[in-house]
Amino acid sequence: MLRTLSKLILIVTLISIFLVPLCFLVLFSVSANWWWPELFPGKFGLEPWFRIFNQPQIKAALWTTLWIGFLVIMLNLILALPIAKALAHLDFKGKSIIDTVFMLPILIPTMGIAMGLHITMIKYGLADSWVGVVLIHLLPTLPYSIRILRTAFEDLGVKWEEQARSLGASGITLLRTLWLPLILPSIRAIIFLTFIISMSQYILTVIIGGGKVVTLALVYFPYFNSSNPGAIAVLSIIFALLPLLIMGLWELIIRILFPVKKLKS
Amino acid sequence: MKLVKPQTKAYSLILRYLLFLLMFIGYGVFELFSQSFEDAHDQALGSLGNYELLFSNQYFWDSLLTSINITFSSTIISIVLGVVLARLIYFYLHQSKWKYLIWIPMLIPHFVAGHLILLFFSQSGLISRAFYNLRWINHMSQFPGVVNDPWGIGIILTYIWKEVPFVVLMVLPAYYRQNKQYIDVVRTLGGSKWQVFKMVEWPALYPIVIETALILWAFVITAYEIPYLLGVTYPKMLSVLAYQWFYQGDWSSRPIAMALFSVLTVFILMITFGCFRLTQSGRFRSMRGR
Repeated sequence: MLRTLSKLILIVTLISIFLVPLCFLVLFSVSANWWWPELFPGKFGLEPWFRIFNQPQIKAALWTTLWIGFLVIMLNLILALPIAKALAHLDFKGKSIIDTVFMLPILIPTMGIAMGLHITMIKYGLADSWVGVVLIHLLPTLPYSIRILRTAFEDLGVKWEEQARSLGASGITLLRTLWLPLILPSIRAIIFLTFIISMSQYILTVIIGGGKVVTLALVYFPYFNSSNPGAIAVLSIIFALLPLLIMGLWELIIRILFPVKKLKS
Repeated sequence: MKLVKPQTKAYSLILRYLLFLLMFIGYGVFELFSQSFEDAHDQALGSLGNYELLFSNQYFWDSLLTSINITFSSTIISIVLGVVLARLIYFYLHQSKWKYLIWIPMLIPHFVAGHLILLFFSQSGLISRAFYNLRWINHMSQFPGVVNDPWGIGIILTYIWKEVPFVVLMVLPAYYRQNKQYIDVVRTLGGSKWQVFKMVEWPALYPIVIETALILWAFVITAYEIPYLLGVTYPKMLSVLAYQWFYQGDWSSRPIAMALFSVLTVFILMITFGCFRLTQSGRFRSMRGR
């Protein structure tokens, strides 16, 4: 009895702390003239949504965010896969050092690194361009990707690979038929996490993009203290929906590339 | 058996790759430090001039104090609440689908979390409205503004809401890994719940708790977005101050901004080293079976 009650209280607390705020966000995005001290909006309407989507600047920012996010995800996968595999399955001199150093961007302020790199980025024409922004977004994302994949590779071990190799598989076959299917859940996690981190970057994008590369985060900030609660709520909701959109796309691609074969048990 | 031969070439490639990436980070840090020694304002102050300017700047000290206060408060509160929540989820919502609710804050950016705090806690926010409707206050201005306040309560609230799930994510696996029989041992010997936590759960948790605290701490003290949006003009948090110097039109204050971040980097590395020592000695202690 007591246990059920505690469980109920816990669930209600979780709902009110984590779910209810989002509901109010949605409410704000479909309301008009909802001022203090009204607890609920008097008038509903999709006006904030139209207002946001009628701005060409925001549409452009949306595409920039998706494009940069896509490239950051691809680079993360291309770089993290071999590195994580090497760290998981290979013993070499100085491994523990490389290991530690690789986790440093989680601790060393990325903003400081970006500030330091700015001059060099200008020198090589990477500043004020999306290329530079993509590169700098690797800093806060790659350590996590490597960590996730490394754990996955460690859990799987080398036995699978030895078996496949002894049967004559190599290179691409190994990757396509063995590793990719086995680490698919980790790749999904990386895509999700990387995109969220990338779209959340404001200061790194500002420093390296110089205000010329306008992502959604850069559009968001001027709205923040504006007197239009509806418009900012719409933008917040877009931020919450974008990762889900990416996830949906990913699932679609996977269904097409690896059609599900029902296992007969 | 290891089938090293066909892989050696690939691995050496990977290692070069790795080194290249490390250079990217290392070079950034190197540039940060070396630019912090360049002359600011075209004055010949000697190589440590920027540090002298920084340390004699009252803005810097006020910002440092604010940053440390806000960072420690949000880290410690997030860790405590996170561990408590992980424990509750482990004991009560083991199989329940409701536990997935806590991942919501992980899915949205920090500044959106800041927006939620603003919606609820600002003077015109929902809580203020509720107070008015309960006749507790008569006017908006009577509600204590906890957003854009000098103590950074809005900032701390945002970080707590956002980071507690992160703490749960880090700590929960340790809960699942621990040996449940130890709990039974303590209980049958008449130990209380607190003793179970102290003797069984905490020793299993605390290396990961220290690591999580370190990641949070290092993140919050250098984060820009939330302090910029929810902070006050004075005292600013360190990163906001640094960016102001960095971005000043003629770049003359850039080296001081670099000096500030160099100091922060060294500070963080020192704390990291300290924590590392702490967890290491802890491991030895438990190995000796204290």
